[in-house]
Amino acid sequence: MLYIRSTGSISPQKTFGQAPFLTDPIVYRGNRLNCIEPEYKEIIDAKLIRRMSRIIKMGVTAALECLKEAGLTQPDAIVTGTAYGCLQDTEVFLSRIVENKEEMLTPTAFIQSTHNTVGAQIALMLQCHNYNNTFVHRGFSFESALLDAMTLLLENPDHHVLVGGVDEITDTSHVILSRLGLYRQGAAAGEGATFFLLTGLPSPADYARLEAVSTFYNPRTTAAAEQSISSFLASQSIDIHDIDLILTGRNGDEKNDAVYQQLGETIFKGRPLADYKNLCGEYPTSTAFALWMAANILKTGQGPRKILIYNHYLNRHHSLFLVSAC
Amino acid sequence: MDTLMADLKEQIVEQLNLQDIKPGDIGDDQPLFVEGLGLDSIDALELIVLLQQKYKIKISNAEDGPKVFRSVRTMAEYIKAHQPA
Repeated sequence: MLYIRSTGSISPQKTFGQAPFLTDPIVYRGNRLNCIEPEYKEIIDAKLIRRMSRIIKMGVTAALECLKEAGLTQPDAIVTGTAYGCLQDTEVFLSRIVENKEEMLTPTAFIQSTHNTVGAQIALMLQCHNYNNTFVHRGFSFESALLDAMTLLLENPDHHVLVGGVDEITDTSHVILSRLGLYRQGAAAGEGATFFLLTGLPSPADYARLEAVSTFYNPRTTAAAEQSISSFLASQSIDIHDIDLILTGRNGDEKNDAVYQQLGETIFKGRPLADYKNLCGEYPTSTAFALWMAANILKTGQGPRKILIYNHYLNRHHSLFLVSAC
Repeated sequence: MDTLMADLKEQIVEQLNLQDIKPGDIGDDQPLFVEGLGLDSIDALELIVLLQQKYKIKISNAEDGPKVFRSVRTMAEYIKAHQPA
């Protein structure tokens, strides 16, 4: 069991800084939700910021905000999940390979394009030499980072692990993913950088308790997905009626949402359901935003006491999070 | 020489994405690295590529690097001396 000590999030909503929790949610039209970004120059040193692309600035800033809230400067580990990595730098690097006929390539875009750049930059800024890992597992990237954090905290419950999910949309990625049909049926592309400071010991300042995380891949039928959800709840010695709110990853795509629709008629029937991708859009690490949302709902101390997050990405990567009030 | 130094300053600011620094802020003899403009080893690589791309000049001897990249003036002098006809 883990405790969420603090959070930091940059998303298409006003989630950064001292903004009140989604009191004035932004309603988006169209098929692309871009993050509302802070003035980075006020947060990151000018000498460092000049080499950072947008996703790096977003990730680093969300992480720093998370640590600032907890009053911590040195986490015992930094674990990041990202599916796409630093797309903007990757695009620059690949374009220059073509433009310069594979010669005279500048180093910055190449160095910054690797998937672990966000985690590395956080460590560099903090001069943190502790454990640092990045998980790149498509729709399980953030989940894998969380599972790693859980393992670390199982061994050392008094440690503090900074764990986050980051992904960006670029013009090129949006065109390519649109062409692949991801946003054809009503889903909107999203992006975000969300970090959590997790620890194994409770404190009065905690947002919530992360009880369990589980994933399952490519269920053949919705009944198989239902079975996996039941098994997950059983492993936590609860049933669906103990859940006060289910946050689902419905994204507006009829085919995608059919799974949630069918589960709404079976295992989720009669249970309070809410969506989150209308707020942050669809992206492989969107569950980081869902966890941020659940943590903030539970922190208010009013309303739900136990939240189940259930998401699937392209009906292949299915994930479950059980989060409780402290 | 003055035109070449002005061009170099513009290219340095653009290539290295030096925010809040205008080409005119860089002195002709101001050290580029450490205590001067504060550039580092990654910037050195960027400057080497800049010389190759824009001026077709290759620094063949690595030991020349610190002398060539000491300031905008030393860079300009090196370009003048080595630029292909």
